[in-house]
Amino acid sequence: MSPKNLILGILLGSALAAGIFVATKITTPAEPQSAFIIPISSAMPEFSLLDQTGAAVTADTFRGQWDLVFFGFTNCPDICPTTLQTLASAKREFAAAGAETLPRIVLVSVDPERDTPELLGQYVDYFGDDNLAVTGQLEEVTKLTKALGIYFEKAPTDDGNYGVNHSATVLVIDPKGEFMALFSAPHLVADYLHDLPIIMDSQ
Amino acid sequence: MRSVALIVCLFLAACGGEAEAPLVASDIVITEPMPGSHMSAGYMSFTNNTSDAINITHVVSAEFDAVEMHESLVEGGVAKMRPIETLVIPAHSSVSLQPGGKHLMLMRPTGALHTVSLRFYNVHTLLLNVSAPVSRRNN
Repeated sequence: MSPKNLILGILLGSALAAGIFVATKITTPAEPQSAFIIPISSAMPEFSLLDQTGAAVTADTFRGQWDLVFFGFTNCPDICPTTLQTLASAKREFAAAGAETLPRIVLVSVDPERDTPELLGQYVDYFGDDNLAVTGQLEEVTKLTKALGIYFEKAPTDDGNYGVNHSATVLVIDPKGEFMALFSAPHLVADYLHDLPIIMDSQ
Repeated sequence: MRSVALIVCLFLAACGGEAEAPLVASDIVITEPMPGSHMSAGYMSFTNNTSDAINITHVVSAEFDAVEMHESLVEGGVAKMRPIETLVIPAHSSVSLQPGGKHLMLMRPTGALHTVSLRFYNVHTLLLNVSAPVSRRNN
């Protein structure tokens, strides 16, 4: 083979390889590595709760932005702060990367008897600005949790107090106010960084 | 956030000299109570340098009314906490207390929190006495 033909062959081979790479990128949609996308997203149910300022929280509150919703309580010493810390870290990394749209972090109390709006507000503020605290009447919380498949139950402790066993899932609510994906525990920042852009781009 | 514990005593009689400590606690993190909460969490790694298992049956802190050992579990998607009656550190092994797993639950601070002292017992025998500063959760 002459040097001219060799160079031509290398160029053609490189072009072919580049073409295959680009075609693969175009035709293979990115897949979440951890999140589960709900095949048929569902609208939030009718309910009436309160945010940290005492303002009403209804299904409408979840329209207009992306929300990451976790169900927990302030007297939860490990799982709840660890999960919120993960969400806050992911959000901070999205912001640092210049993301135009940042999800809102929402904590819905599964211990509304103890978690007043003010208390829950202080708790979510610890994890950054613009987080939403949701609490209120137990029966209204239950309307929300039942519709979204969230479980919670008081767990009495030896000292006469109680904890709350609760679903460890983080729900993704889209700007239409529809529950469209979820992250299961364990929650890792890397999973959110990988999956959330895919989920948000799918809309 | 992580700090190196000040190890005051290890099995008391084993203090001093260059002998390897029987039980060592490292990477100690004591979180400040969350706003609105009267609880802190404690995380650390225990290393047992002996040829026998070491059992921790309870923990005492001067800075808290009560300290309990717990394990967070996620079973069937549901987060639960299970008390640990005895934390076993197997011979020549390490056990980690870490977020989302085994941890200390420090309840009801007795005053302003800066440094927290922890005393680990096997029934009435003091195994380990450490102290570490309270730290903010690393958001």
